[in-house]
Amino acid sequence: MEAKQQVGFCSVCFHLSAEPVCEICSAPNRDHNTICVVADSRDVIALERTREYKGKYHVLGGLISPIDGIGPDQLHITQLVRRVSQQSIKEVILAISPSVEGETTTLYVGQLLKPFTRVTRIAFGLPMGGDLEYADEVTLARALEGRRDLD
Amino acid sequence: MYLKTLHLRQFRNYRDQQVEFFAPKTILLGDNAQGKSNLLEAAELLATLRSHRATRDRELVQEGEAIGQITATLEKDTGLTDLAIALRANGRRTVALNGETLRRQLDFLGVMNAVQFSSLDLDLVRGGPGQRRSWLDALLTQLEPVYAYILQQYNHVLRQRNAFLKQQRKDGDRPVPVSFVDEAVPAVELLAESAGSEAIPPDATQLAIWDAQLAAIGSRVIRRRARVIERLAPIAQFWHQAISDNKELLEVNYAPNVGLEQDDPAVVQQAFLAKIQQRAIAEHYQGTSLVGPHRDEVEFTINQTPARQYGSQGQQRTLVLSLKLAELKLIESVVGEAPLLLLDDVLAELDLNRQNKLLETIQDRFQTLITTTHLGSFDAQWLKSSQILTVEAGKIRPS
Ligand SMILES: Nc1ncnc2c1ncn2[C@@H]1O[C@H](COP(=O)(O)OP(=O)(O)OP(=O)(O)O)[C@@H](O)[C@H]1O
Ligand SMILES: [Mg+2]
Ligand SMILES: [Zn+2]
Repeated sequence: MEAKQQVGFCSVCFHLSAEPVCEICSAPNRDHNTICVVADSRDVIALERTREYKGKYHVLGGLISPIDGIGPDQLHITQLVRRVSQQSIKEVILAISPSVEGETTTLYVGQLLKPFTRVTRIAFGLPMGGDLEYADEVTLARALEGRRDLD
Repeated sequence: MYLKTLHLRQFRNYRDQQVEFFAPKTILLGDNAQGKSNLLEAAELLATLRSHRATRDRELVQEGEAIGQITATLEKDTGLTDLAIALRANGRRTVALNGETLRRQLDFLGVMNAVQFSSLDLDLVRGGPGQRRSWLDALLTQLEPVYAYILQQYNHVLRQRNAFLKQQRKDGDRPVPVSFVDEAVPAVELLAESAGSEAIPPDATQLAIWDAQLAAIGSRVIRRRARVIERLAPIAQFWHQAISDNKELLEVNYAPNVGLEQDDPAVVQQAFLAKIQQRAIAEHYQGTSLVGPHRDEVEFTINQTPARQYGSQGQQRTLVLSLKLAELKLIESVVGEAPLLLLDDVLAELDLNRQNKLLETIQDRFQTLITTTHLGSFDAQWLKSSQILTVEAGKIRPS
């Protein structure tokens, strides 16, 4: 509990971080031109376990869900658009679970980012609302590899 | 298929009751409120995971208990299957097949099939469109279990979209004149047109996505409903004609809210989106979804007259019986095995002609569970090849 209270959010990608800028964002050897967008910090952890992905992340902090009163304004979407429009990002990968809310969020974010860069989404073989968090490393790695352009 | 055993533990008013079925027909005989319908309800749950009378699992679990269980052995052409449902007063139900708990409840559907027929089914004709939709949905779920998932997705998207529309209306803070709360008022459209760009909702991007999601999943619902009615209608017509001695022509017609010109996913989706566009202003003012299969209707006409308003009692009874017989036949032909028939209190209400038509159809092919308070109330033929069980205060014994 004590430790948790000290953890804040990275000011760049909104991943959990004790420092103002997280380890991933400040790592010099990572690919600066690719951003992987996820709903939650747990998804970052899951994707890091695959050791496949070398780019940066952006944590939205949830999914669009009008029932729960969550709209784009409640998520870190403006910050993402700013990041993408102001830096030379070559690809944004949307790695969001294919639930109803995940699909809406994917399409929404995709629409906003398309004018600036190439937008892809991971291939989800997991039927019926599989969660990133519960997918094993091999499945996740394959999902990343099989990503396709968002249409 | 044949239900060989049924074991109810802490289910409704049954503490611990094992039942063995050994005849094509089983008559459950007992006074009121002894547990006859409860037993049929257990069979219904095994087939559909739904009960037409309980809204929450808590009602199904014996009062004062935390967990209730239904277990059964079903014999099919492919062999024996053990089915189990655990219901909880607080918490989610779990289901198992052959001792293995399933991760997805969807995989439990389609193992056992049953057609339920109770005196309440007259509401199918007399009640509102919602009743006909749930009947259709329950049938579809048995024919293609994935439909349960599609429908659940649709309802989920619908709830999200409704929440979004409601919230947009609030954000827009535009007073809605009472006269405009009614749907299909062209004046609303006119007014909004004059309001110009102001009528465009602030988050058009998100709305367009909800529209697309609703149309995509909604089209799947529509196409499946259309398909099942297309197959069911001629069978129901045949039976209605037979029972009415060729005097009556029954037509069962699917009246989808979004017109179905062609059974092509892209075409249906286009029509869906076009209708949403048409109704956009009204939806915005009312803050709710006005387009989609949640507004579908199934129409029954007898000799071209709507059965709901103009059908006589007898005609309506014939209609419902014809629908049930059609369900039996359709499930049998799609699934490849005869489903169970669950007759709750309904037999005594049918006259001899209708009773006999029913009997001719089921013969010994469809395992039938029948509840009644008096054996004398139906034709003696039913007693042939029947097993009679007495139900008393949650206990069952041979009589
Ligand atoms: N959760 C429950 N726990 C204990 N008893 C219950 C529960 N739910 C229902 N009952 C009891 O079950 C009885 C009703 O059983 P059921 O509906 O099967 O009657 P029935 O034999 O079909 O009667 P009828 O001939 O009137 O239709 C009632 O006595 C009711 O109190
Ligand atoms: Mg009853
Ligand atoms: Zn960071």
